Amino acid sequence: MKLKYIIAIVLIAAAIGAIVSTYGDSSTYVAFDTAVENMGSEYHVIGTLNRDKPLEYNPEKDANHFSFYMQDSLGMEMKVIYHNTKPQDFERSEKIVIVGKALNKDEFEASQILLKCPSKYTEGQKPGEL
Amino acid sequence: MQEIIFEGEHLLPGNLGHFSVVLAFATAIFSSAAFFKAFRSPDETGWGKSAVIGFYLHAAAVLSIVASLFYIIYSHYFEYQYAWQHSSTDLPWYYMISCFWEGQEGSFLLWIFWHMVLGLILLFTAKEWKYPVMFVLSLSQIALTSMLIGVKVFGYKLGSSPFELMRIVNESGPVFSMPDYLTRIKDGNGLNPLLQNYWMVIHPPTLFFGFACTIVPFAYAMAALMQKKYTEWIKPALPWALIGVMVLGTGIIMGGFWAYESLSFGGYWAWDPVENASLIPWLILIGAVHTMLIYKARKTALHFSYLMVITSFVLVLYATFLTRSGILGNSSVHSFTDLGMSGQLLVFLLMFLVLAIVLMVVHWKKIPTTSLEENAYSREFWMFIGALVLIVSAFQIILTTSLPVINKVFGSNMAPPTDVIAHYNKWQLPIAILIALLTATAQLLKYLKTDSKKFWKEAAVLGSISLVLTGIAFWWFELNNWLYFILLFASVYTIVVNFKTAWPFIQGKIKVSGASVAHIGFGLMLIGVLVSSANKNVISRNNTGQAFFDGEDQKTVKENYENIYLEQGKPVDMNNYRVTYLGDSSKWVNIYYKVRYEQLDKEGNVKNTFMLYPNGQINPKMGFIANPDTRHYLSHDVFTYVSSVPKKNEENDAPFHNEKKHELKQGDSVRTNNGMVYFDGLHTKVDRNSSPELANVDLAVAAKIRIVTLDSTYTVEPVYAIEGNGIVSIEKVSDETGLRFRFMNIDPKTEHILIETAERSPRKNFIIMKAIVFPYINFLWGGTIVMIIGFLLSIQRRITEIRRSN
Repeated sequence: MKLKYIIAIVLIAAAIGAIVSTYGDSSTYVAFDTAVENMGSEYHVIGTLNRDKPLEYNPEKDANHFSFYMQDSLGMEMKVIYHNTKPQDFERSEKIVIVGKALNKDEFEASQILLKCPSKYTEGQKPGEL
Repeated sequence: MQEIIFEGEHLLPGNLGHFSVVLAFATAIFSSAAFFKAFRSPDETGWGKSAVIGFYLHAAAVLSIVASLFYIIYSHYFEYQYAWQHSSTDLPWYYMISCFWEGQEGSFLLWIFWHMVLGLILLFTAKEWKYPVMFVLSLSQIALTSMLIGVKVFGYKLGSSPFELMRIVNESGPVFSMPDYLTRIKDGNGLNPLLQNYWMVIHPPTLFFGFACTIVPFAYAMAALMQKKYTEWIKPALPWALIGVMVLGTGIIMGGFWAYESLSFGGYWAWDPVENASLIPWLILIGAVHTMLIYKARKTALHFSYLMVITSFVLVLYATFLTRSGILGNSSVHSFTDLGMSGQLLVFLLMFLVLAIVLMVVHWKKIPTTSLEENAYSREFWMFIGALVLIVSAFQIILTTSLPVINKVFGSNMAPPTDVIAHYNKWQLPIAILIALLTATAQLLKYLKTDSKKFWKEAAVLGSISLVLTGIAFWWFELNNWLYFILLFASVYTIVVNFKTAWPFIQGKIKVSGASVAHIGFGLMLIGVLVSSANKNVISRNNTGQAFFDGEDQKTVKENYENIYLEQGKPVDMNNYRVTYLGDSSKWVNIYYKVRYEQLDKEGNVKNTFMLYPNGQINPKMGFIANPDTRHYLSHDVFTYVSSVPKKNEENDAPFHNEKKHELKQGDSVRTNNGMVYFDGLHTKVDRNSSPELANVDLAVAAKIRIVTLDSTYTVEPVYAIEGNGIVSIEKVSDETGLRFRFMNIDPKTEHILIETAERSPRKNFIIMKAIVFPYINFLWGGTIVMIIGFLLSIQRRITEIRRSN
């Protein structure tokens, strides 16, 4: 019987461990101000592309440097640097989710970019507008 | 209002489909009721017969739905929303099969189809379990077919029909009030380019067959409770659980292989929510197989077997809920858009969960238990622990995957971990080590009791052999982390122990070695996963070591630089390869980028050359979709994809300058800054449709111009035409050379022509590419095949057992 209890305790401990680790590792959706206050910590930031400011991508010089200006939900704007190729159809994005950290109060380094495009494939063009 | 008569519609297949859905739904209701009566009142034999007939009708109706839908897609009847949304006329027939399950409705249909097939098999094999088992299966068919009905009931739309007409779905579209609207729909929306891959033709049906199989052990468990035959179900349910594990496992790996072959994230597993959703029930089903085996051998762990079998099925329903309700949003490559069925899916899930819980609670005390003295020197003890570890593994995956659900329920705002892969690996790597060690230990022990001295002796001998082999492998695979050493040891130990236990059988009775063979396969898979991910090498990484921007951390900068810029014709050294982008060609909608790889030895001499053709399509809706190409070697794979290509438009080009006029006769040549230009003669076979300006011209002549540069030759044909008294000149630009030609005049007598040339810097043709070497990934695929063989042997053995006992 003793063994049974030990196993039960280990199992419960593992389950609690899993909960704690999920909670601990999970990121949060924040605005830029939080990211700037906690420079170096990684966050998810949702925002929109500022189309008036330049997108910088010059693959001949450096295929792994792309930068743009993004406005978060509170209207704060930061320059986002992404060390990868420019995602295709980036200009058409409606909403952008970036994952990364603030480098200083003006620049944010993204390690991942998720785009939400107006024409998600399955929605497609509206047939009524042919 | 006047009724509009629409022209050219094909309403018959749609009506037949609609009718068949309703018929399938009705027959499912009828059959489940009749099967219920049949096992509740065994004396009234009429119920059983009519239930079986009802199910045959159901099967016919399901086949008719499948046939109608395929006919609609195959015939390109774009008056149907489903065909328009998921297919197009240019698709080859085999991808039309994939169109089938691109949409939610079709994937439900696939599931319904497999349940139907399983039902037919059970009618012949389930013997005395037939009626109650078929009752549970028919019950699930009610829920599943209701997903396809698409009728409003009390303001709630029940399901979504794949046979809806475009003009009904998009009522507000002005086009759809025109009688000839069909002539205006030229083509369908097309199949998602990610699914245009032959693995996508077979991966979903396999996976869904695996999903479908989980209902059989579940139905047996439910039947056992309803019939109060608490113990007898294990035997007939076991082969089905094994089939489920085998098929679902194969389906999952096929999905991984598809991802590896055709997606550009560079790997076979990304801990994507949808991948996880299919992995979780599989882990639990493996646990269920083991607890069922424990019961068979030792008449214990019966309650636990019930719970595991129930959970595996409920988790399949949960996986369906996760992927279909739209709750995962855009976080997954597989995401289906929400069709507003999340409520219905939840009802489906809860219906079976409640049924199972109620039956378990009512019968809990009546399920026999054998209180056994726990003996750590017995196989069942460690098998049981193994099942528990599998639960922990599944639990951890569910928890993180369900973050969007947790957010919804608790109103929290948690985002997935920023490094998802590290998060899962942190848990699943130690778990994999545990599972491998448990597998080996359990196989060394006998059921009930083993002589401890004998066990330790054997464990020590096999352990030492494994340790030596691990050391050699560790050096050979060039690994360098103690955690990897432990995992490698655990895998090797499992292989060695299971090889030893299988050995006497391999010589004689191979049939009973299924478990050992499957475990060997598992060990090989672990080695493949370990080595290919630990030593995965992004060879296109920027190795210059220079940070391009001041103030940035050198290390992170370097790590992120994984793409390489390749200009056409210019070789670039990358790791121990020299790569050259040679040019592109198109086939169907895909553009193939030809890349030459030259493997260099230490002195820099080429020792091996091969070509890769990573391709991509520029999809009007999704932009550039990259499709990798991989060179497979026995010891490693060279995986390559194009991450970006220049846009073929003019916005980046400089204006033309240096305009010059030349009078040329056939054979003349002109030197420009961008290459030699040759005039090869005239011809009058001008395509009048090539430009609107040429539509009404009286006479058109094209000049054959050839441009020779240092490494290539290009041709262009500017056109000179006469329309009435006027002149039409169609200029032609050669983008690759940056030359523009205007055909200004022609002397009809001498056939001398006047050409104006203009120059700008040539447009550079380049690709941005990423290349990864995956070492020893064949262990993963090979291990999978070995594991499948092991399952086949086990299934055969369990089926023979049933046959013998009858």
